[in-house]
Amino acid sequence: MERDYLISWKAAGISLGLLLILATALTKPLGVSTQFVVSDAAVVHKVAPEFAESNAYLSKYGNKTNWGVGYGWMLVLGMFVGGGISSALLRKRQPEQDKGSMPAMWKERFGDSMSKRYAAAFGGGVLLLFGARLAGGCTSGHMISGVPQLAISSFIFAVTGFGAAILMAKFLYRSGSES
Amino acid sequence: MTTLVIGFLIGCAFGAILYLGGATSYRRILGTLRLKDMWIIKLMGTAIGVGTLGIYLLDLGGLANMVIKPAYVWGVALGGIVFGIGWAVSGFCPGTCVVGASEGKKDAMATVLGGLVGALLFSLAFPFIEALLIQKANFGSITLASALGVSGIYLAMGLSAGLLGVVFFVLKDKYE
Repeated sequence: MERDYLISWKAAGISLGLLLILATALTKPLGVSTQFVVSDAAVVHKVAPEFAESNAYLSKYGNKTNWGVGYGWMLVLGMFVGGGISSALLRKRQPEQDKGSMPAMWKERFGDSMSKRYAAAFGGGVLLLFGARLAGGCTSGHMISGVPQLAISSFIFAVTGFGAAILMAKFLYRSGSES
Repeated sequence: MTTLVIGFLIGCAFGAILYLGGATSYRRILGTLRLKDMWIIKLMGTAIGVGTLGIYLLDLGGLANMVIKPAYVWGVALGGIVFGIGWAVSGFCPGTCVVGASEGKKDAMATVLGGLVGALLFSLAFPFIEALLIQKANFGSITLASALGVSGIYLAMGLSAGLLGVVFFVLKDKYE
């Protein structure tokens, strides 16, 4: 069988574990979802400063003159740059199945409408960040970083998050063909 | 300034690992969530296994800058459920949609936009749900070690060995 990956799950998993250790030694563990609020807050502080100040959540992140762009936001910017550079360099070797905006598995189940795919991706994104902010973290902050610190909250998140995702995936593909 | 540069560089490595490891791939994510191709759970299990032992070894030397998220049971559990549904529907997480967008995937860009809207909706809802879901049943920043009164390194060794054992010897190549 042709190799259908760039680096194995072992290589990626060990590197990610080592990166987490390095980050925890240098500054703090990894996290992403807070930065969606920081980005929102920067915009709201600009267009509706009074509202931003009056909102108990947004007012925690930045203010009118300081956007609250710090370590965490630079980390997410770095993810965009690091992902972009590696994909630009390795595009030719990336497995065909992993390219593009219309996954084959999705197409087989839901048809080839791009707007349907984008609508699901957008709606899923709304739920992702609403849920992550309610829980106080996401896959990186809770699962990758929180569980290794043995945080009780992260164990709760890992169980409910994976549980709901598995049930939802089963539901979405309930009459899907075996692949 | 140094902190910002460190953040940026760690982010670059994080983004590259997620891309290279196939974590931005719908086939891998949904394959794992449908329990058909366990790639992502093996990747995460390995990372958590290595990270747990490493962080608690650092902690022995007093070098771990830990950030323990507070355990407000209802909010975390409900947030996890909403998050999980969004994960299965979009095929991305908050981190992988950023990396997917950097690859030029338009569906990942849609998830980033949705995420910005979702985070804003949460900000608007926060005053109404704080008392009920975040302040209630909030046990603060507790860990398994502090709750059980056991030294963290022993639990970390157990969890690491268990996770790596399951990933490397039980799941292994079963689903590849």
